[in-house]
Amino acid sequence: MRLPALRSFGPTIWGIELFIIVLAGIARWIPDFLLTVLIQLLIFAALAYSLNLITGLTGYVSFGHVVFMAFGGYTLSFGVSALSLPPVVGVALGAVVGLALALGIGAVTLRFRGVYFAIATLVIAVAALRLVLVINELGDGQGIPLNIGFEPLSWFYTISVILAIEVGLTYRITHGRIGYGIRSIKSDEDAAKTVGINAARVKLFLYAMSGLFAGAAGGVYAWTTSGVFPYAAFDLTFSLQMLAMIVIGGMGTLLGPMLGAVVVNITSNYFLTVLIGFQYIIIGLVVMIIALFVPEGIVGTLRKYIPEIRGIIE
Amino acid sequence: MADATLFVTDLAFGLLLGCIFAVIAHGLNLIWGVAKVVNVAHGEFIMLGAYGAYFLNLYLGFNPLLSVPIDAVIGLGVGVLFYFGFLHRELRGKESMGLQSEMVTLVATFGLALFLTNAAQTLWTGNNVGIPWSPGALQIGPVQLPLGGIYVAIVAVAIIALSHAFLSKTYLGNAIRAYSQDIPATQMIGINPTFVAAVGTAVGFCVTMAGGALLTVWLPTGINPSLGNLYAPISFVIVVLGGPGKMWGSLVGGLTLGVIINVGQLFLGNNISLAEAIAFLTLIPVLLLRPEGLLR
Repeated sequence: MRLPALRSFGPTIWGIELFIIVLAGIARWIPDFLLTVLIQLLIFAALAYSLNLITGLTGYVSFGHVVFMAFGGYTLSFGVSALSLPPVVGVALGAVVGLALALGIGAVTLRFRGVYFAIATLVIAVAALRLVLVINELGDGQGIPLNIGFEPLSWFYTISVILAIEVGLTYRITHGRIGYGIRSIKSDEDAAKTVGINAARVKLFLYAMSGLFAGAAGGVYAWTTSGVFPYAAFDLTFSLQMLAMIVIGGMGTLLGPMLGAVVVNITSNYFLTVLIGFQYIIIGLVVMIIALFVPEGIVGTLRKYIPEIRGIIE
Repeated sequence: MADATLFVTDLAFGLLLGCIFAVIAHGLNLIWGVAKVVNVAHGEFIMLGAYGAYFLNLYLGFNPLLSVPIDAVIGLGVGVLFYFGFLHRELRGKESMGLQSEMVTLVATFGLALFLTNAAQTLWTGNNVGIPWSPGALQIGPVQLPLGGIYVAIVAVAIIALSHAFLSKTYLGNAIRAYSQDIPATQMIGINPTFVAAVGTAVGFCVTMAGGALLTVWLPTGINPSLGNLYAPISFVIVVLGGPGKMWGSLVGGLTLGVIINVGQLFLGNNISLAEAIAFLTLIPVLLLRPEGLLR
């Protein structure tokens, strides 16, 4: 078997990056309809990877990830409409806002464990919507519509770059020295602290990175939907979809979020034509069954039953 | 002084609203206390309870208070199903709930929440419905209070008192409390852990669905499938404020939240969004400073 050689090469990371590069190369010839579907897929993949950084890697379930996405969108819309910045700069600013927000929220909420963290993040998301509703500069509860036109190629290149960086970062984190620390925090945080891992700092770093990418993806999302509207931007369904993707694909793996995003998006797009809301019934059922019976998700299950491919899919 | 009247009215409304908040959070509190599990789909079961009351009113003409016991009985059955569907595999043969199992139940019940909301949306559409029932108002001096809200508050406090009595005065209730403290010791003195945990969960769901029926009095035209999106976070905050597993904790947390929202908007220039945000965010300092809840 030549598997060890293949393993050290890291086929998954290069596979995903190659996939993104090839897509970006042929984007110019992809018809607009298919391109918008792909853009949506990549945005959701970026969101799934962002949640994967904290929930997948450390086991801290965050129900409030939509906060970073929504504020990324608000930053882009505010920057473009009020400061007339180019949208790409707005996306970058959205990432910075997501990072700052995650540092602030994480410094407090990462002290809580298990369900308390999940509840604190959920409640912050619910409260953040209500705070945004009363801020006059952010559309006075009506949202900020944008008038920048339909430019799928720019959306596509922006989200491709974000996703490529994000996947590369996930690979560096899980395969570097910090990866051992993260895995030990996931299995036993107290023991990890005992052997000298600065758990608080590692978690905050992951949460901040997570906020950064969610903010950037949220910015692109607001760009594609021509603005942000409070109830749609803070819709908890986004949090739930992100969580569904990493649960279905496999938490804490490199390939999992991508697979989950593909599965959830195909289900959504397929059932959208049948009956609105029906896709969530299916996704909800699938998440329930996977969580109860195969908590490792698609990638984790493959890894369990075919140990040889461990290095390849990681 | 008109301002004082307004203040007293808002305070009284806050207390009444607090009672209904308390009873819908109480079901979550019971499940959290007994099985050490947070049911993310809690809001969806409140929604089902509310729809139960709505359909009983639509087809049989029951008023919301009459449908409370019927919803409660349905809740018992749902609770047993929930226990064996979601919790039994994680709790069986364990000495306590590990972080891993905690995550499994969080994610699984979240899937259930997604399923229930959208199934309800498909079956009953997303339109707002309501129960036309208003028993009038009570005039105390210059303050006017809705009689429906007062009835609801009385029933809510009675439900919490009853559950407290059940847990502290009966053999089964004591067994449930013993189970929540130490599972191996409970088995050692001959208590069947599965039976006790199933009964505890069932009682929790019974109170949740009854709370959903009571909530319809406050929502004369506001029952819809995404009801849970608001009332689940409210319940989480209340339980953490009062302290999980403490029976009077739900009442303390509920009244605190109700008063903050109602009196808060008086001082914040009728800004209900801001008052709600502040009420939700009280969770953070409480978790930081008194993680065991406001009650000792």
